[in-house]
This record gives sequence, C-alpha cells and structure tokens, in this order.
Amino acid sequence: MSLEFLNAFKFMRKDSILHNLDPRAKLFLAIIYTITALLYNQIIPLFLIFLSLIPLVVIGKIFRQWIKSIQGLSFLIIFIIVLNTLFLSLSFAIAMILRIFVMISAFSIFFLTVDPNNLALSLISMKIPYEFAFSFSLAFRFVPTIAKEAQNIMDAQQSRGYEMQEKGLINQIKNLFPLLIPLIICSIRRAFNVAEALESRAFGSTKERSYYYTIKYSFKDWIFTLYLILFLTFFIILKIQFNFMPEFFSWSLPV
Amino acid sequence: MVISIRTELPLIMIKDVAYTYLNGTTALKEINLSIYKGDFVGIMGKNGAGKTTLIRTLNGLIRPTKGAIYINNNNINNATIATLSQKVGLIFQNASHQLFANTVEDEIKFSLRSFNLEKEESQKRINEILTQFNLEKYRKRSPLNLSGGESKKLAIASIFCRDPDILVFDEPTLGQDAKEIEFFLSLIKKERERNKTIIIITHNVEFAFEYIPRTILMAEGKIIADGPTQKVLNREELVKESSLVLPQSSQLSLALKKEGFQNIDPFLSISDAMKYLLKYFKNNTKRSQEG
Repeated sequence: MSLEFLNAFKFMRKDSILHNLDPRAKLFLAIIYTITALLYNQIIPLFLIFLSLIPLVVIGKIFRQWIKSIQGLSFLIIFIIVLNTLFLSLSFAIAMILRIFVMISAFSIFFLTVDPNNLALSLISMKIPYEFAFSFSLAFRFVPTIAKEAQNIMDAQQSRGYEMQEKGLINQIKNLFPLLIPLIICSIRRAFNVAEALESRAFGSTKERSYYYTIKYSFKDWIFTLYLILFLTFFIILKIQFNFMPEFFSWSLPV
Repeated sequence: MVISIRTELPLIMIKDVAYTYLNGTTALKEINLSIYKGDFVGIMGKNGAGKTTLIRTLNGLIRPTKGAIYINNNNINNATIATLSQKVGLIFQNASHQLFANTVEDEIKFSLRSFNLEKEESQKRINEILTQFNLEKYRKRSPLNLSGGESKKLAIASIFCRDPDILVFDEPTLGQDAKEIEFFLSLIKKERERNKTIIIITHNVEFAFEYIPRTILMAEGKIIADGPTQKVLNREELVKESSLVLPQSSQLSLALKKEGFQNIDPFLSISDAMKYLLKYFKNNTKRSQEG
C-alpha cells in the first residue's frame, strides 16, 4: 500500500494563469464548486459541473497530479458504489461519486496551486489573526511530510513481519495501532520542535508585524471571481427551474 | 596480484534493476550486483544517490520497475514482504518509526508474531535477545521513554530476534556515541561469526574504512565503484563525486608524500599511520642522539 498519492495535494511551483491568481480567488473557487455540487443529486448536472473543472486543471498544468488525487480515492469510490447501490440505486451512487470528484478536484486545484506562504497572507488579509493563519498554513505545508513519515512507518513495521490485511474488523482496527501510535508520537515531537524553533526566532514577540510580501486582488482575480459568481448563479437558476428543463437533465440509469 | 574467483552462487543477485518513483524521479538505473553469503558490504554515496531505494528493493518494500532480484537463486519480484522479511531484516534509520508497544518486551513479541511460536519458545527468544542487548532492566518500561541510543538498540533487537540471514542497516552509527558504536560493532562481529550477510548504508568514511571490507559507491542511481574498501575509498575522484572525504589515514599519507616522504604506501588505518610515525620519530631521535 502506498501513500504516495498524498503528494497529489502538494503545492508545485509552476508558471500558469491559475498559479498566478490570488489564493483568495482559488479558495472562492473551491467553496463555489462545493456549494454547486451540493445543490444536485442528478448525474447530468453533476457531470457538467465536473466537466467545467477540466479546463481549469489543464490551464493550471496540474493534470497528472489531479489524476493521482482521483486515483487515491479508488477505495472510497468502491465503498460508495457498494453502499449506495445496496441501499439506494446505482444512479444515486454515480451521482455521489461525481459530487465527491467535484469537491476533491476543486480542493486539489486549490492545494496544488496555492503556495502555503501566500495562503497565510491571504488568511491574514481576511482579518484572521496571524497565529491562526500561520498554524493553518503550517499544517497545510506538513501534509506531504506526514504522508512520507506514514509510509516510512508502514515500511518499518512491514520489515518485521507486520501484515495489514488480517481477517475480521476488530483485527483490522487493532492492526492500525502499530502505524498510528508512532505517527502520532512523531507528529507531537515534531510539533514541539517546530514550536521551539519558532520561539527561538521570537515568534509572537510583537503584536504588530510587517510583511515582506503582500498580496493584491488584481483585475484578473476580479474577472475570475465574476466567472465563479455567474457559474453559481447559473446553477442556482437551473436548480430552481429544474422541472422546466429538458428531460435528459434528470436522466438516470434504469437500475 | 592474486585474483580470487568465487565459485558459489551469490546469496543476493541484482540484475539490471531500475526504479522510478511515481513523481517521475529515477532513483535506480541498471543496477547489477552480487553479494555472497557471509559478505560484509558498505553502501556509500551522497544523499539522493539511491542507496535507501536499493536496500528497500531487497525485502519487497519497493518493486523494481525493471530487472530482477534473486535471493538464494529465487526471483523475489513476486514474493510478499512478510515472506521476505524472514530472510532480510531491514533496520531503519529512525527507531521511533517502529516503536509503539506498551513495553519493551511487547515490542520484541510483536516482531515474533508472524512466526507463530509456542509461548515458551517465544518467551525464551525474548529473554535471550533482551540479555544480548542489555535491555533486561527496561523489560517493563515503555519504549517511548527510552533514550535515543536505547531506542535504536531496541529497534535492532526487534529485527535480530527474527534471526534473518541478511541484515541490512540504514545509517546505524548516526547519532550514536562511541560506546554505542562499540556495542554495535560487537553485534556485527558475532553475526559475522555466524556467517550472516551484512549490508550497511553509511556516510561515515572512517567507520567504513576501518571495519567494512567491501564498499559499493553510488551516484545518481548508479554503482560507480565496487571493491575492497581500502581501494575504493582511496580513489580521490570517486570519493569527491560521492560527496565524501578521503579517510584521515589516506589524507595523512598524501600529506606526507607532498612533504617528500616518497616511499609511503597509503595507510590502511589510523593505527597503521601511528605505527609508521612512531617508528620514524624513534629512528630520527636515535640518529640525532648518535650524531
């Protein structure tokens, strides 16, 4: 079992229109797409929303990483299909998968194209206290580190005969302890080390602080925001007028 | 010069092995390597040379994208990690990555779980290993409360109790004090007497030069040198390419050569160099007293 798919959420510096947008605009994108996806339970509109994300992925030059983030969801997809098909219907299962695809893709675009340092700056500009903004961006920056550490722990335990796949739910839960305990201990130790390193550099010594870099909501960010607002408005109207829309909009599988 | 040709089959045979990570980084390129039973081999090279990736292929944690690995003449490409871990014991750099049990004793017990031993047999092995590693007094203590050195000892003990034929260490001397390194050397000596095959990744040139008979140098996913340590680590251009430094004894012999001591052979160890210098000063003192 590999945790390398978590790297699909790691920021990669690239030169693209999407990378150059303000982090707040991209946070807005993630929120708007999540709201839009939650408006519908039908396959066709969710599929359209999903399709509308693909040009953004291409423009952002993050196609490969995005595919990996989707691949990493394979276990969840199987779980949703089985559960929904058993208790509801296959159509509903597909719609739910599309919904998750939209949400994960929107946040994946956000994480892949937002520099953690800029994320802190954008949160500060939204009047969030610096300590919280910094903690959030630090947590965001440590995701790939923790993923790598989790992989190392798994490898170390497997090297002494540990097997993840044992029969029975209780055994499987018990089996998580050799992975979770070292991971939690290492994370706590790292948190203490980071805190000490920050304090030794006088973190939080003054209330008012200046910033070397500043971010500005530019014209292209406003254009992008306008697109997102129009996008959300269109899908809200579609939802209100849904009964008057052509029949294929509410198409579902016969099973 | 006597060239010895080994007639037995290698215990580990790596044939044309290559490995590329999911992010596209090629960590290993066309690796060909034979390691025989009882060999004591050091793998050296700069960070990112592919050393750790190479040792991870030995117990199936990483499957080569190309080529094959044979252990005891069996292709291991399809063998499970659980099976391979009984033959290859891999000891990781960071001990805290594997310690989780309530007590030191339970930590060892966890390693023996896959052997399905009888309770008495399991207890016997635990007692033996705790005695061997001087960890008896910590038997009921939490592994998380041990010092760095003791944690490393416990991590090694939890692999030694499985008694694998091949022992692979990733940076075993890192962060260890002189006494701990001495203890580690005594362990290695015992295992060599039992004809175990030992592979060590290290950046410690002095350690390798003094104790490891064979060294493999790696750079950019390739093996750039493989041979007797004292020959490999005396090749200045290779040592530089691997971001290492020449052993102190070699540096001393080079410096002496520069000062006009032309008939000097490279020293094989610090004690060799000391012997040479003491002899030289004694002779000089004698000569000046006579003069």
